[in-house]
Amino acid sequence: MNEELKLVITSSPHLRDEITVPWIMRQVVLALLPATIWGIYFFGVSSTLLTILLSVGSTMGFEALNCKIFKKPLSITDGSAVITGLLLGLSLPPSAPFWLPLVGGGAAIFLGKEMFGGLGQNIFNPALVGRAVLLVSWPKAMSTWWVSAPFGFSGFSGGGAASTFSGVEMVTTPTPLSIAQMYGYSSLHQADPRILWRLFVGQVPGSIGEISALLLLIGFVYLWWRGVVHWDIPLSYFVGLSCVAILGGQSALFHILSGGAIMGACFMATDYVTSPISSKGRYIFGLGAGAITGVIRLLGAYPEGVTFGILTMNALVPFLDYLLPPRFGVKNQMVKEEKI
Amino acid sequence: MRLNTFPGGIHSPTFKEFTATKPIKEFPFPSRVVLPLLQHTGAPLSPLVKKGDRVKRGQKIADVEAFISAPLHSPLAGKVAGIEDYFHPLLGRFPALTIENDGSGEEERKDPLCDIENKDPAFLREWIREGGMVGLGGAAFPTHVKVSPPPGKKIDTFILNGAECEPYLTCDYRVMIERSSAILIGLRVLVKACGAERVFIGIEENKIEAIEKFDKLVKDLPFPARVVPLLTKYPQGSEKQLIVAILGREVPPGGLPLDVGVVVNNVQTAWAVGRMAEEGLPLIERVITLSGECLKSPENLQVPLGTVLSDLVDFCGGWVETPKKVIMGGPMMGVAQTSLQVPVVKGTSGFVFLSNLYEKKEYPCIRCRRCIDACPMRLFPTMLGKFSEYQAFDEARDQRVLDCMECGACSYVCPSNISLTHLIRLAKAEVMRRSRKGGNQ
Ligand code: SF4
Ligand code: SF4
Repeated sequence: MNEELKLVITSSPHLRDEITVPWIMRQVVLALLPATIWGIYFFGVSSTLLTILLSVGSTMGFEALNCKIFKKPLSITDGSAVITGLLLGLSLPPSAPFWLPLVGGGAAIFLGKEMFGGLGQNIFNPALVGRAVLLVSWPKAMSTWWVSAPFGFSGFSGGGAASTFSGVEMVTTPTPLSIAQMYGYSSLHQADPRILWRLFVGQVPGSIGEISALLLLIGFVYLWWRGVVHWDIPLSYFVGLSCVAILGGQSALFHILSGGAIMGACFMATDYVTSPISSKGRYIFGLGAGAITGVIRLLGAYPEGVTFGILTMNALVPFLDYLLPPRFGVKNQMVKEEKI
Repeated sequence: MRLNTFPGGIHSPTFKEFTATKPIKEFPFPSRVVLPLLQHTGAPLSPLVKKGDRVKRGQKIADVEAFISAPLHSPLAGKVAGIEDYFHPLLGRFPALTIENDGSGEEERKDPLCDIENKDPAFLREWIREGGMVGLGGAAFPTHVKVSPPPGKKIDTFILNGAECEPYLTCDYRVMIERSSAILIGLRVLVKACGAERVFIGIEENKIEAIEKFDKLVKDLPFPARVVPLLTKYPQGSEKQLIVAILGREVPPGGLPLDVGVVVNNVQTAWAVGRMAEEGLPLIERVITLSGECLKSPENLQVPLGTVLSDLVDFCGGWVETPKKVIMGGPMMGVAQTSLQVPVVKGTSGFVFLSNLYEKKEYPCIRCRRCIDACPMRLFPTMLGKFSEYQAFDEARDQRVLDCMECGACSYVCPSNISLTHLIRLAKAEVMRRSRKGGNQ
């Protein structure tokens, strides 16, 4: 064997596992599908599908546009823009005007992501940036929930305006959180004693993809099983939110189940790029985001609070990243010694 | 079965099926061997013979005064054909002795070692050094140094490392199955030399036959000994991780297993020591694995040191597919080779021939934490990789870059295919260079 071979020289390791960025992104989309489909079914195709498609289309379109303007290689194949668009679309109210997802998608990509240098560089969750811009600029459009009649809450102010979409009779309805904020949780509970159950399975109007806690949790468990996410942030988020809710004399479970807290904790706060990499940092991040969500809900002007709760903690991530675990070999814990 | 392990690490395919069931074949004496004058971690050797000298098999042919070193012996009877620069699997090129086989088969053997338990440890350490023994797991650290506890330090535990966590490699496994009695004799010598009171034998659970075999054999040893089945996970065979898995002790940064009262030796090292005790032959041969999808007939071979790789490839029947990469050692920590002319050295655990280059598209770091979860040293590879890229070497040092043992787990798992291990290696080299220069710039 003396023939000379053309040999590739690289430094070790010489193996790689199969998991790639697009694979991870696909898993996230898959995990969101059950909740998405339920949202479309619940509110009807005509008032949801276009919103979702426009949202995904606009994030992808704007990202492609950005690549073109700044002459970067086309980055939409990594799948992150799809997720941003999907998360944004799912967090919009059903029957939202068509320009809402378009503007939101633009804000998400330009203000939320590319301004910082693109994938991996952004400090704030792009979908939440898009949503925050919409919340601040068009609070009315973002908090008007058109639903077909039997699902709404009647007898509370904020509801009752009627309209017809593609032949279906629709009314606006207040969300459970805004009812609880204005009238207190007990009157909501009186109006609907099975409210918690209905929130859990997804029979209470809310943003398109955020209504069924059950399906979102199923999606999250799938992601956890696939090794894509960890439960530390959602858990500490719920703990933080519950503590504030209990201090404020309200039902912790009600707060967890409503207003997109599950979507926020499981799919927004766990966003890789905008959550801390250090384990300790992640608990602080989750607790903080949950607690701020609760405080905004109890004291602030917005009945939800998930968006700004997470965005606030996003800003602290660069500091939380440095909370390293104890150095290997510095504290010798002679704990689980084997015996002969 | 309860399995011990360490936190972190990766589950990669083991690729051991190529050779796991293949018995060790003895490679016939080649017509010549090439023996680099540095085959261990430590000081290079000076030749004790010159061009034209006749040498016997087993004769010492190079040595040096330094403590951290191990002498070299001739694996063949023959003539010294020259001392000049030659391919070295780790160092590019290095001065090497070439010995041409004269077919006479003349040998120089030491006296067998008997009555091991009554020997003086210091005598045994010297005896081990004279045999040229180094760690055969890959690091090639001189064995007599590993079994010499510093003054005032007590060694309580000896761990025999049969984890063999590198994908493809099966030589240790085959040695455990086929050479078990010599391993036990070597184990007795090593334990007596370091003064340990008890022994654990760590074997990954995918080598069930070896576990069962040693479970039975350890009962006859003159000291307490037990097999500890380990989870099959990379890098389970790394010394520090093995000690964590079995004893829960962590070797301090920059320290040695001795610092936590432990000595770890590879099973093949024990075999080589046991063989010398029985047959009087120093370290002149070792068992290696030749594997990978490119090789016609992958094998476990007992080969004389200095055998040139191209001869081994011929023995294995050549290629079924032209390799794109040739690696000495396993694919996780092994070194890519430029030529088939490299010789087998003491630290060669095998050669792997790959046609799959594992090309994966690169993306920016998405901060997915996979590298952090995989790092057995509790480092943040993504952070260290970025420091290396931005040449922020002081930050890298402060974030413990020198703790990295270059196991490659972080690069393996990265979905963005960032060469983290490579970047960290560069940063380590620079940090070490600066600290050698002194000062705190
Ligand atoms: S595995 Fe790769 S992408 Fe993930 S955090 Fe580490 S460096 Fe970044
Ligand atoms: S190569 Fe270094 S940083 Fe990467 S996983 Fe191994 S020890 Fe950790």
